[in-house]
Amino acid sequence: MPPRDVGRETRDGGRGTGDGARHLPARIARVVRRIIGAPDYEAYLAHCREAGHPPRLSEREYVKEFLDSKGGVRCC
Amino acid sequence: MPRLLRAVIWVALSLLGAAAFAILALSRGETVSAAWVVVAAICTYIVAYRFYARFIATRVFGLDAHRATPAERLSNGRDFVPTNKWVLFGHHFAAIAGAGPLVGPVLAAQFGFLPGTLWLVIGVVLGGAVQDFTILCCSVRRNGKSLGQMAKEEINPLAGSTAMLAVLFIMIILLAVLALIVVNALKASPWGLFTIACTIPIALLMGWWMKSWRPGHIGEASLVGAVLLIAALVGGGWVASHPIGAAFTQSGTTLTWMMMVYGFAASVLPVWMLLAPRDYLSTFLKIATILILAVAIMVILPPLRMPALTAFATLGEGPVFAGKFFPFVFITIACGAISGFHALVSSGTTPKMLARETDAPLIGYGGMLMESFVGVMAMIAACTLDPGVYFAMNTTPAALAGAADVLQTAGFVVTPDQMQALAAQVGEQTLVARTGGAPSLAVGIAHIFAGVSSALGGRAATALWYHFAIMFEALFILTTIDAGTRVGRFMLQEIVGHVWPRFGETSWYPSIVASSAVVVAGWGYFLYQGVVDPLGGINSLWPLFGIANQLLAAIALCVGTTILIKMGRARYAWVTLAPLAWIVTITMTAGWQKVFSADPKLGFLSHAASLAGSTDPHAAQRIFNDRLNTFVALLFMAVVALLIVVSIREWWLVLSRRKPATVSEAPYVESRYAA
Repeated sequence: MPPRDVGRETRDGGRGTGDGARHLPARIARVVRRIIGAPDYEAYLAHCREAGHPPRLSEREYVKEFLDSKGGVRCC
Repeated sequence: MPRLLRAVIWVALSLLGAAAFAILALSRGETVSAAWVVVAAICTYIVAYRFYARFIATRVFGLDAHRATPAERLSNGRDFVPTNKWVLFGHHFAAIAGAGPLVGPVLAAQFGFLPGTLWLVIGVVLGGAVQDFTILCCSVRRNGKSLGQMAKEEINPLAGSTAMLAVLFIMIILLAVLALIVVNALKASPWGLFTIACTIPIALLMGWWMKSWRPGHIGEASLVGAVLLIAALVGGGWVASHPIGAAFTQSGTTLTWMMMVYGFAASVLPVWMLLAPRDYLSTFLKIATILILAVAIMVILPPLRMPALTAFATLGEGPVFAGKFFPFVFITIACGAISGFHALVSSGTTPKMLARETDAPLIGYGGMLMESFVGVMAMIAACTLDPGVYFAMNTTPAALAGAADVLQTAGFVVTPDQMQALAAQVGEQTLVARTGGAPSLAVGIAHIFAGVSSALGGRAATALWYHFAIMFEALFILTTIDAGTRVGRFMLQEIVGHVWPRFGETSWYPSIVASSAVVVAGWGYFLYQGVVDPLGGINSLWPLFGIANQLLAAIALCVGTTILIKMGRARYAWVTLAPLAWIVTITMTAGWQKVFSADPKLGFLSHAASLAGSTDPHAAQRIFNDRLNTFVALLFMAVVALLIVVSIREWWLVLSRRKPATVSEAPYVESRYAA
């Protein structure tokens, strides 16, 4: 089972990880972000934790890099 | 569940779907409830998903939950991110569903509801969903490579560059036709134009909010954006009735220039400023409206007032667009049944987010079934209109005069007073000759929503719902136009970059400005030509777009077939070969008829000939445009013919063992998720 379902991590960098009920709004926000293709800094933090290296980018830098690379196709 | 019980349920579902189709097909003269269309479609989707998608997943591709996907292997927290399958389903659906499945069925309703509905439902399960799913599987096994890269590696470099050029040309026609729909919907409509114009400052505000003021607070910014959007919608009604409304009452040609300026600005400005916030806003609106529409249709189950078949299906003299139902229903409805454009999404962001290979059927096949259902809903909305109203709205006076006899015989008539009353009801100056599909869809949706809101005890508020529907369509068409212009700009930069490397630097400003201008001029020319065309433009541009889109599907299916053959699954190659054969047949037939038909309403060349010696001051321009359209159609046909020949040669080489069957799949890595 893929454990890294979006919405697992919270904005406070892990203090409330896994506590779905208390952080429901944050989880909903993450699901919505992913659906609309918006930047998701928590996904980046989760990736860094997993890869075992400290985050290279601050949230501001991450958002900038994400948006600059965006060339997604929207269909007819 | 016991095996027998499951079998009984599946047989019952299949029989229910078949019965619904029978009721639709046998209806003659009386109105049919939309319920039967919904039942027929949903039963077909469920059965196809359970059996055909599973067959392709297990037998054809052998998808393996233990094989790590690119999202897992190349995870970078940005574009390669393993994503929950339902979330990815939403993401993928939002990327593939746009104006296409809403407009195509509305135009095809001139043949009656049956041909379009059958093609939507059968085409998707055997064609469109198969294409999306196949390309997704191929791309996932190749680190999320794009369609062009796969064509290059699996077929040959010539196929790769041809596919890339084809995508650019198709993009230009697509943007022109979508822009034409918006222009026709906003022409002389101060309410509509005011609302849409407001979305630009709203997007700029949102962009500033989430980039500089409160970075990353996208939810907050979107909420503010949504509230302002509703305010703009309500404010539009006030503007329309106020003297200030004159400033928002614009002609088609002025709107054309505005669209071009907008497209250029969106392509040149940084993404965060205009493009991304508008994209978020329109995605919210799109998903919400489609869900509400689905619920509303299920709740009120409106009767279909359009007959199952009209005389135009076989006469080929339809006032909305010329041509018989074969091949034109299959060209008119591309998105919703099979759309080549989806191959770009299926080999774009989606494969980089797929957590497990076995999630692919839900996203690739299921996502497309959902889009087909959007097409079915658009068909229902158009067919709930009085046929007289439908034809008065979707036809220019010139075309209407030509079809008057047939419309009289069928009883599809409406008085000018009735049309005026309807226009007043939805807050428009006129609804006659509002071609392009969007206004008639908006009237259909407004009736359905107004029916629900008054059933719930509220006001019917038809005008508000009408403008809500127009805003919903225009907003995401504009999103496609700005994203498309930008993607076209990147493609052009990449292509020219092969010859002149400096131009290929996507951040070099002279290159950004020059390539954006070329792309905007490309679609802007076709748009302008469509706007000044006395027949409304949609009748020549929409078929060209349909042909282009289906040709892209042919390219995608060629790539899919080649990969299946190289994987040693030639015995299952019919899965992609059958839709490929059908697509090639219809596009080549339609392309041929559009170019060479002796009927000036249908054939570009005979239309040009009919204008020779005319006293019309614009005749020379129109003749040039007919020849340009001829060139474009022939070019598309030549591209596909070339790709098919190149692919068949490759298949023959591999099957006759003259060439080793090597696929360039990424090596197998055990997934850490599988336990």
